[in-house]
Amino acid sequence: MEVILEVNGERHSVVSSGRRLLAVLRDDLELLGTKLACGEGACGACAVLVDGRPVNACLLLAEAAVGHQIVTIEGLSAGRARALQEAFVAEDALQCGYCTPGQIVSATALLERTPTPTRAQIHEAMAGNLCRCGAYPKIERAILRAAGSA
Amino acid sequence: MSRFVRTRTEMEGRYEDVWALVDESDDTESWAPDAALSLVGRPVPRQDGAARAAGRARFTVDVRLAGMLHAAVLRSPVAHGRVRSLDLDAARAVPGVRAVIGPDSELSVTTRSPLLHREPGYAGAPVAVVAADTLEAAHAGVMALALDLEVLPHLVDIEEGLREQRFTTEPADDARGDAEVALAAAEVTIEFSLETPGQLQTALEPHAAVASWEGEHLTVWVSTQGMFAARDELARAFGLRKSDVRVLVEFVGGGFGAKQGAGFEALAAAELSRIAGRPVRLVNDRHGEQLDGGRRAASRQTVRLGASRDGTITAIDVDAVIGMGQGGWMPPVLIPARTLYRCADVRALTFPVKTNLRAQNAFRAPGVMEGTTAFEQAVDELALALDMDPLELRRRNHTDVDQVSGSPYSSNQLLACYDRAAELAGWAARDELREPQPDGLLRGMGCASQIWWGGGGPPSHATVRLDSEGHATVITGIQDIGTGTLTSAQIVAAEELGLPLAHVRALGGDTAPNIYGPIAGGSQTTPSVMPAVRSAAAKVRKTLLQLAGDVFEIAVGDLEVSDGRIRSRDGAIDVEVTEVTGKLGDATIDGSGSRGPNPGGFVVHTFGCQIAQVSVDAALGEVRVERVVAVHDVGRIVNPLTASSQVEGGVLQGVAFALTEELVVDPTTGIPVNAYLDDYKIPTIADTPEIVIDFPGIADENLPTTGTKGLGEPPIIPTAAAIANAFAHATGRRAAALPLTRDRVLEALA
Repeated sequence: MEVILEVNGERHSVVSSGRRLLAVLRDDLELLGTKLACGEGACGACAVLVDGRPVNACLLLAEAAVGHQIVTIEGLSAGRARALQEAFVAEDALQCGYCTPGQIVSATALLERTPTPTRAQIHEAMAGNLCRCGAYPKIERAILRAAGSA
Repeated sequence: MSRFVRTRTEMEGRYEDVWALVDESDDTESWAPDAALSLVGRPVPRQDGAARAAGRARFTVDVRLAGMLHAAVLRSPVAHGRVRSLDLDAARAVPGVRAVIGPDSELSVTTRSPLLHREPGYAGAPVAVVAADTLEAAHAGVMALALDLEVLPHLVDIEEGLREQRFTTEPADDARGDAEVALAAAEVTIEFSLETPGQLQTALEPHAAVASWEGEHLTVWVSTQGMFAARDELARAFGLRKSDVRVLVEFVGGGFGAKQGAGFEALAAAELSRIAGRPVRLVNDRHGEQLDGGRRAASRQTVRLGASRDGTITAIDVDAVIGMGQGGWMPPVLIPARTLYRCADVRALTFPVKTNLRAQNAFRAPGVMEGTTAFEQAVDELALALDMDPLELRRRNHTDVDQVSGSPYSSNQLLACYDRAAELAGWAARDELREPQPDGLLRGMGCASQIWWGGGGPPSHATVRLDSEGHATVITGIQDIGTGTLTSAQIVAAEELGLPLAHVRALGGDTAPNIYGPIAGGSQTTPSVMPAVRSAAAKVRKTLLQLAGDVFEIAVGDLEVSDGRIRSRDGAIDVEVTEVTGKLGDATIDGSGSRGPNPGGFVVHTFGCQIAQVSVDAALGEVRVERVVAVHDVGRIVNPLTASSQVEGGVLQGVAFALTEELVVDPTTGIPVNAYLDDYKIPTIADTPEIVIDFPGIADENLPTTGTKGLGEPPIIPTAAAIANAFAHATGRRAAALPLTRDRVLEALA
């Protein structure tokens, strides 16, 4: 089935039949910043924004994203997202960098709805984004820095 | 002039005597410990940080080539079996399938053990691989293989393996003096036993490879910690010259020890690509990765210690039973017991039991971490028996001499680490934590020491190339798996060249330039590569100043370069570097450097101390780590920003080893039941304690030119022991097994 997806402000016609949004993003649209790590919604490496909310693209059928605005890491380069990207680099909130796009996506969603989060709010919002390198202390600092409270 | 020198190299405690090519004309002097350096030792963000943060970093899983096929692996569903039937032709008949290989296929690849298993010895062992136009077609091909297996008996219990004497290699008996006699004579003795879990590396980028042939030239992108090892392995396996194999590893999504060399993925992808005549991509799915990516071996250890009343350790008698799986290198579990403290009478017995799990492999501080976890708990038990402060007991048994070889350490700041960690943790007031707490939780504080190698050595090479615009490229054999070592190379080169950081870029991750660097393992990249980088940069600086002398008609000795400017000592000349390099046109100034040997007569190690504070909910059995203080002696610190990241990462993996991570194997089937990311519990941001980090940062003057040691493994080593000791301080109890899950905690407190 052909459907129209709106990704990073552009409309794309894709074959959706039974496929996950992540496969469409990576394989058809070659938006490779969104990563596959578990394929079962356990790690957040594939987080994208759907109407501003962070969603694991490995669990979402592409059909279910029709009519919604999808933003991937490639579509994040301004405002709070940019501040986060700069803060992640400055604080060294990334090591291997594989989970980083998902972290930035989730953190962007957090700051959009909670511009000055507490430590507890950061932990709750980011607990679904695993980082095996263990950059968590610096991810927390980077989010606080981007929020202007560090 | 180049010379061969005979020298001893070390990788995770394995020593080898080799010929090393060194440059005799290299007169780079070591930075003095108190040298005023402008960049080294200051926090620098990663040179490739922006690419990582923007999602532009290209990992092996992101490589897309024209006509590329996708491979899927058929893995053994049983712990031990024999293939009865496997229909390769049916798989080949599936639309889109281009190549299929099974255990009986004629392959061009030659490997020491079979690439595919006719008689798989563990669940997850690869039996066949299918390459197809799409991953969906490859999966359909795997289904069409219709694998039928005869199920054979399995063994996964290490005690059963010990009883049956099923060993992968001969048990090791390492002894000095007579521990038995010393134990019998000791005034105070303790005995402590501990089971440690299997721990999965769980890099978020799984093992992955993309292989492509052009005639007899093979190019492979592979998610590996060792691109030169991968190149050599592929060349050997396919009978190629090394120069006909190119391995690329631009970004690696974590390794933690599991990604050594080419691995099954690169070998299988290259074989399928050769058959199909098209590039092939093989990426493990998560279940395959957790089953077959690797594992820190589970162990059962027993420690018996003897001491005199004044706290002098007089006897150490330890044994370890290690669940090796199908085999692999024997992890040095008992090294901490044999080396951490001064003791003349030591016995260490290691039993490597063969089980029906994948061969164990390296996971950050393999062996030493789980060995420390048991041994350092036993040392705390001894402190308790002696009624002595645990840190004081450690200080009292400190040694500056390697207990195995008798040689002195090249440097050792462990005593300073104890003092600093105690100060940062508030150790002196730790018993106040045991007073009733307002939140009703029990609290305690515990410490543990760390020892690891990490001195690096030759061979390691680097080339620095300065262009007409005054920008330098540092070509290294580094594969930066997330540690920041490329940025460290950038810093060291910029320091030596006298150029701003922004004008220097370090390259790695490609074997094509044939500039060798060691595998990113064993904490050896920084100590091995940085002196080579510095030496190469020093030659370029020297040439630059000679050329400046020509341009300005002034003696070279009167010129210096810093901050991108060339200055004469009398102040008459003060110009941008480009005033000289601009005259190069399209030529470049090149310099090559190599890592000199470590000095003879010394043993090089890293040291450290961590102190953990935990809270325990005695009703729910929940342990939380509230704070970890980590002080590690790894010589001079090149980049404190990325160094602290290494420590945080190591500590967090140690926290998880103590509290949540455990590969659970069903004893009736021999099959791991939590080989997924949702029920194999790696830590989240919400599990993160406060981590306080410090380094003595004192350069090791006996190491060549930079005085740096490695930092990858040290921070994971003492964390779990410190947590378990804090748990014992809080509760007065010890668990017989890790991790400290709620059931184990409640059992320990009952």
